[in-house]
Amino acid sequence: MMAASYFKNLGKPEIYFPSLIFMSVLALVIFIHNAFYLDLLFMIFVFAGLSGAWNIIGGYAGQISLGHAAFYGVGAYTTAVLFAKFGLPPILGIWVSMGAAAVLAIIIGYPCLRLKGPFFTLATLAVAEVLQLLAVYMRSLTEGSEGLSIPYQPSWMNLIFESKNSYGLMAFGYMLLVLVISLILERSKLGFQLTALREEDQAAESLGVDTSRAKIKALILSAVLTAIGAVMVSQYVLFLEPHSDFSVNLSVQFALLPMVGGLGSAVGPLIGAAILVPLGNFLRSWVGGSVQGLHYIIYGCILIVVVMFMPHGIKTLVERKYHALLLRLPRFGSDGSVPADKTQLQKVSFSASSTTHHTAAPPLPLLEVSNLGKNFVGLKVLSDISFQVHPGEIVGIIGPNGAGKTTLFNILCGIHPPSSGSVHFCGASITRMGKVHQICRQGMGRTHQIVKPFGSMSVQDNVIVGAFCHEVSYAKARERALDALNLAGLTGKKDQPANALTLADMKRLEVARALATRPRLLLLDEVMAGLNANEIEAAIQLVRNIQGAGITVMVVEHVMHAIMSVSERILVIAQGEKIMEGRPDEVIADQRVIKAYLGEGFELT
Amino acid sequence: MVLLQVLINGLFLGGVYVLISLGLTLIFGVIRVINFAHGEILMISMYLSYFCFSTLALNPYVSLVIVLPVMFIAGVLIDQVIIRPLRNAPSYMQIFATVGLSVVLINLALALFSGDYRSINMAFSREILHIGPISLSYARMIVFVAAIGVAWLLYLFLNRTDLGKQIRAIAQDRDAVRLMGIDPNKLYLITFGLGCALVGLAGGLILPLYYVFPSVGAYFVLTAFVVVVLGGLGNMMGALIGGLIIGMIDSLSGYYIDPALKEMIYFIVFLLVLIFRPSGLMGVAGAEEMGLK
Repeated sequence: MMAASYFKNLGKPEIYFPSLIFMSVLALVIFIHNAFYLDLLFMIFVFAGLSGAWNIIGGYAGQISLGHAAFYGVGAYTTAVLFAKFGLPPILGIWVSMGAAAVLAIIIGYPCLRLKGPFFTLATLAVAEVLQLLAVYMRSLTEGSEGLSIPYQPSWMNLIFESKNSYGLMAFGYMLLVLVISLILERSKLGFQLTALREEDQAAESLGVDTSRAKIKALILSAVLTAIGAVMVSQYVLFLEPHSDFSVNLSVQFALLPMVGGLGSAVGPLIGAAILVPLGNFLRSWVGGSVQGLHYIIYGCILIVVVMFMPHGIKTLVERKYHALLLRLPRFGSDGSVPADKTQLQKVSFSASSTTHHTAAPPLPLLEVSNLGKNFVGLKVLSDISFQVHPGEIVGIIGPNGAGKTTLFNILCGIHPPSSGSVHFCGASITRMGKVHQICRQGMGRTHQIVKPFGSMSVQDNVIVGAFCHEVSYAKARERALDALNLAGLTGKKDQPANALTLADMKRLEVARALATRPRLLLLDEVMAGLNANEIEAAIQLVRNIQGAGITVMVVEHVMHAIMSVSERILVIAQGEKIMEGRPDEVIADQRVIKAYLGEGFELT
Repeated sequence: MVLLQVLINGLFLGGVYVLISLGLTLIFGVIRVINFAHGEILMISMYLSYFCFSTLALNPYVSLVIVLPVMFIAGVLIDQVIIRPLRNAPSYMQIFATVGLSVVLINLALALFSGDYRSINMAFSREILHIGPISLSYARMIVFVAAIGVAWLLYLFLNRTDLGKQIRAIAQDRDAVRLMGIDPNKLYLITFGLGCALVGLAGGLILPLYYVFPSVGAYFVLTAFVVVVLGGLGNMMGALIGGLIIGMIDSLSGYYIDPALKEMIYFIVFLLVLIFRPSGLMGVAGAEEMGLK
């Protein structure tokens, strides 16, 4: 089916132009017989693939590895030692290499990727160094510093060929494999999760993303792909040596190419490789003889300059020209297919609570908080809070600044554990449910008081991250995201980048993202603060619409007339204690509330 | 007796690591940048000290008068030219920038000075104090005493002087410091300069003991990374204690296991710290990335 639609759309420039490039590169590999150029092509393809593999963890997930040479070296040495010392053909050995790289990825990833900060980068650097020492040390297997020669026995089983064209084809296939995996990743659940956690990991967690797990998956994928490339290079060079195959320079090169080409995009590494690999070869062969390490000096300078002046890489320069070129190219054949989503938008029906993923029907009440207390090292923030929330309600929470409202929300969605008391959601204790993302999956949605958009992603993609909480396929997730966008009133802005939105729209985006996770209970933390009168009216309507869609809502708000008009019941918290609970009119009349929060002479306007 | 000798060797070696780690952890604690070119600053200061010896015949301990100010200025320049424009950029960009600088400096040294291992020939570095069966190298003792002394002075500076207090304040909250009428940029450049001067001191003091070559910094800085993570990132006291512990581990595993595997042992320590106590020995549990302590 994919092939059929490919040929149907072959008349379009955006399809046939890349295809032509693809064909001509393939033709180059097949028909060139000049050893120098074939060698160059091989290196470009392999490094495009290797840096594409790095880009999965370093670019998409934003976890900078400075030790990918570890995966490279382990991959290369495993196959080579098994071949040279034990006679295992590399076509089989490469699988062992992939497995070894995956195991190494887990060993590094499990401790480090749970943490924020520079730990992962430091650990990768150290691992590569230690493995280098180990490769020198284990002389009986690796021949130590003298280096390991791989016997030249041409055969496809050994991934060793007589013709450089065959090597070129193999490397081309490898590059293509990494490119296709990257493109699939961009459209997949994991890809969305990685970009989201790169931008704002806390917000990703509260949309049901298991960030540690996603990062470890990305590292394993990246390591396995790196090992494949490493085997190809070593079967080409037929020589391995610890000081180059585990070197920091190599690791830096993997990171440099995507950085120069464009971090976190599938074509970035290709562009980086196409520019820097020939440049490196040129510098090494023409000038490198006289000045040692010159090409690395230039690489380093390029890295600094790109980071400082072109942080999005050369891709951004090429991209615009490329799209302009596509527009000028002729279009062949009929062009009748219009994107179908325009029609869908009108007739969406949002059905959050009637979905089937929740197990049994929730027993009443939906949320039960009993005698909840919270201390932060001696500072009492909440004490003895008890209340219930029933399905379908809108419950407001008011109280002076510092009363503990946001802390309460943070406990409800699992960011902080309670110090005493209990919280039951849908009849189960939230402390037993686990971490933030697991509680989100049980149906607890939240927005953040300080908005946390995934800035570089489009509005729609932001919401798709939330939708992937319960969806697996991109198409389904997109459909759900469009529903949520429609409910939040953001449909018209779905293609804008999230950091270009106004504050009011960013708050709507927070709501839309949370809605897309299909919550049963939605916690709205000051979604109206900082909005003007009209925007507040729209927000009130939005809260009512959310209730209309069958979602229970808890609202923290300082905009009094909004919370009074929208809530059915209000809790008043002051200094960490619940001082009042009742209908809005009861709350306004209550002396304790007036004293603690509203002030004398308060009138609802 | 052998054990005592091994332990003292470890303690003295720990002094080297402490001296190198203090600057790294100071810069991270205040500026929140891991300076991946830290090892190359060490390398440059060793070369500088080496050339002071070979051309001006200056004793490395005397040439500190030149090395320290030069490295301070180098630090200020790195901060102002490379780090300052990236102050509010995502941390990966600062990583790339300092990594780029590290690659340039290593290979520049390779191009200028070649990969030869050089050392100064100084009778003093071979002189040894014998106390019973224990022998102590004077040069190593100086490093150890300097490490303890510098850690103490740094503590006094950060806690007793106005400038030190301002630096500690900015490590906590950049915006609040600006509201107090203090220029954050000034504090950052002083901190970066100070961090580099500290590693310059290390470079001058260890030149009598170690060879200098272009990638010497990479060798030491990896150990320094382990030290600062073990002690707690950004934690001065942690760098002191972490450095001494790693020195001990180095010496013990070198003697009892295999000198070729001692880095392996650090790394296992490093991973264990990350698994069980990522905030480090001296850090507050749960707060892996703390400010200056």
